[in-house]
Amino acid sequence: MRHIIQTMGTVASLEVPSEWADAVATIDRIFDATNRRFSLYRSDSELSMIADGRLSLSAASEVLLASYSRALDWRNATGDLFSPHRPDGVIDLNGIVKAEAIEQAGAQLMAAGCPVWSINVGGDILVSPTGGASGVTTATTAATTTSAVLHAGIADPHKPTELLCSLELRHPRRAIATSGSAQRGDHIWRGGSTESTQFVQVSVVTNDIVTADVLATAIVAGGQDALDDVADRWDVDVIAVDRTGALKATPGLLRSLAANGLTD
Amino acid sequence: MRTRAILGSILASASVLIVGYQAGVSVTTSDGKSLSLPVGSTTNGTTGTTTPSSAPSSGTTTEAPVVSGPSNGTYTGSSIRTRFGNVQVSVTITSGSITEVTALQLTDADGRSVQISNRAAPILRSEVLASQSAQVSNVSGATYTTQAYLTSVQSALDLAGA
Repeated sequence: MRHIIQTMGTVASLEVPSEWADAVATIDRIFDATNRRFSLYRSDSELSMIADGRLSLSAASEVLLASYSRALDWRNATGDLFSPHRPDGVIDLNGIVKAEAIEQAGAQLMAAGCPVWSINVGGDILVSPTGGASGVTTATTAATTTSAVLHAGIADPHKPTELLCSLELRHPRRAIATSGSAQRGDHIWRGGSTESTQFVQVSVVTNDIVTADVLATAIVAGGQDALDDVADRWDVDVIAVDRTGALKATPGLLRSLAANGLTD
Repeated sequence: MRTRAILGSILASASVLIVGYQAGVSVTTSDGKSLSLPVGSTTNGTTGTTTPSSAPSSGTTTEAPVVSGPSNGTYTGSSIRTRFGNVQVSVTITSGSITEVTALQLTDADGRSVQISNRAAPILRSEVLASQSAQVSNVSGATYTTQAYLTSVQSALDLAGA
């Protein structure tokens, strides 16, 4: 059963079995708490108060410091391509907290015992280890959940209403995130450079939504060198679209392409 | 490909040590020991008579003994993380020269070490075209704003309850 929530400046689509509809409110609260703490569009958020000096970082909540610390670890791991610092020095955790909220929501559903689910927040998708709850598959009964597969489309950055391709998301490749300048690239700083990015859209598929989100951002920021580096150092599948519309993909991504016209 | 990747990593690790050696900087080994390598030493260990170029100008402090190159011994480099697992080498230095590079750690244990290159290669759109017609229930795209959502494929899927 599909549920739509407007949250964190975007829209979330949740798929859970109809008898788990009550869980949607809990997930909405997780997203709302993230928004209230981290949004720089709300002057009363904790992060806004740090940005304008009303709150000292040393007095920040443990939750905020944990996210900041995680973002700094990713900055170090990506050689500054991913950064929690805006060019003006303001701490902006927009690049990581949405994925963290998806991660928390998934953990919540797993802890509650929800057998099959999918969470899509603004184009970043995580599915349950047993596969995504999907209208495409017959995953609505317990007997078939273990074989459930979610077919995720990747938007075509040059034709926003069309799909570039479709992938099968299944454990352990159960997270996909897409970054780029196609819709909103404002959290990719690239060291203050205003030069156009080499890739207009990058999708990363892996087992963890935060990793997928951060690395997709890093590849958009760093171009070909970052793409090679990420493919060498992390166990991920990647498809990237450059300015001319040309594609690059890792071997694993090609293997996960959805079969033609598969309807189960 | 795996061999090349590992060799590349070994060379990278070794070059860190070599660069550190030639530049006369400190190299910290994985067991926490710091090796101070003097500026002005040469790789064949024949230095020692020339004045170090970076000698402090003050003449009143006690001069440290001039070292004629890194001490003989075996130095363990940092463990470098790669997709194939951690790679670590040790370097043996004898009379100021590297005489041996030994791989301490090369593979991981989970069987993925036989995997071929994971690098992204150019592909034609026709190679992914067939997958477009698969029925999808979710779309991944660069973050859409609430407004952009309304024109996205995802909103159509949500409307249809796909």
